[in-house]
Amino acid sequence: MDIELVLRNSGSLLDGAKVTLAIALVGATIALTFGSAICALRISRSAVFRAFARAYILFFRITPEVIMIFWAYYCIPLIFDANVSGFWAGSVVLGLIGAAFLAEIFRAGIEAVPRGQKEAAESLGLKAFPKWAVVILPQAFRFVIAPLVNYFSEFLKNTTLLSAIGVMDLSLQAYLLGGRTYQYITFLSVIAIIYFAMIFPVTLYARQLERRLGSQGARSRPARASFFSLLKVPREAT
Amino acid sequence: MIDYNFLRSLDFSVSWTYLPVLFGGLLTNILLTVIGFLCGGVTVGTVLALANLSPRRLVRWPALAFVEFWRSTPLLVQAIWIHFAVPGLTGVATTPFQSASIALIFNVAAYCSEIIRGGIQGVGKGQFEAAHALGMRAYATWRKVILPQAVRLMLPPLVGTIISIFKATAILSILAIDDLLKTASRLSTFTFQPVEIYTTAALLAFAVGAVISVSGYYAERALKRGASHGY
Repeated sequence: MDIELVLRNSGSLLDGAKVTLAIALVGATIALTFGSAICALRISRSAVFRAFARAYILFFRITPEVIMIFWAYYCIPLIFDANVSGFWAGSVVLGLIGAAFLAEIFRAGIEAVPRGQKEAAESLGLKAFPKWAVVILPQAFRFVIAPLVNYFSEFLKNTTLLSAIGVMDLSLQAYLLGGRTYQYITFLSVIAIIYFAMIFPVTLYARQLERRLGSQGARSRPARASFFSLLKVPREAT
Repeated sequence: MIDYNFLRSLDFSVSWTYLPVLFGGLLTNILLTVIGFLCGGVTVGTVLALANLSPRRLVRWPALAFVEFWRSTPLLVQAIWIHFAVPGLTGVATTPFQSASIALIFNVAAYCSEIIRGGIQGVGKGQFEAAHALGMRAYATWRKVILPQAVRLMLPPLVGTIISIFKATAILSILAIDDLLKTASRLSTFTFQPVEIYTTAALLAFAVGAVISVSGYYAERALKRGASHGY
């Protein structure tokens, strides 16, 4: 390991880290907004909306991320006759994928709130807005926060996929520096440590939240047993 | 906004022509998925899980560090690192496919070891104590008491990871293996019809993912039903 060489090139690595964080920020914003919207469709009364949300979730959860990123990068500019940078194509796709996962996390959180709470709110004559904003969502938030943070750590790992379409994120910067200096192992080891330093605290925080909020008082209500509601896409046991 | 002239000019016969080539790429993905699950998830994952449960700190701590490190770094970085580090450290030049397999095996093993560990820990201390009280040796304890119960607990989530492994194999195309994505990008530069080729590739990957996910769902349900019967 040549520390001096790394320090001399720390500017490029820092630029890369900034791009990585920018992807994470854009993607997380899109994922949170779209995820809430898809979740709302998923639990809405209209069967058409529910079917759409199910199809969306199904498609984005099981198609490999890289293939969708490539598709967006090469096909969207042609189909829409517009200039789309790799950064935006990639982060939006990552955000849309995140939305599918977050929608399921949100739905699980809302369904974990006991039905009696909703019925109590209705019997008190609360309108739709206070019923959701004051009664259901604050309780659902408890169940959602730990898996949400956990998914964010997955999301940070997925940002590296954008280097495949030439976005100058941390991993691509390191790869190029490796090529320039023939010190691949040095630079790749350094960014492995940087990624670890970024992702591991997030994982630990998620675990701590899970321990504090997850099990205690968690009353799970079995979701309606339909094929799609039970279609489990793995979330590794922590 | 949408370029309708372009959409009208799309000609999907090219994907039909090159479908066998794309299938060949897809086969590589499936092969890697099988390698990742069997070698990584089941074999190395079990070893790591047992090391993690070991009463000796000298065994437990390195295993724990290994699992945490592989879980907290991106697979893409791991794959490139392995590809450059293995020849540098051992002197054995690995082909891209071998490097990809090694990275995938360790990555999957780190994830699955946690599931396996959870399964073994889910069995409960009383079972160990009961086996000990009956005078069973270590081998008999594991073979007859612990494992039959632990396997029931861990199989459903393990089956569930197969779809993640399949998604992860697409990432490995960064190492120039002839998998689905690499084949598709080669074909698209060769035919100048990226939209047709990439759309077909994405649909193929979706189809395989859907098959894995649906059969995983039924397998999980069958395993859970088996688990509730017990013996």
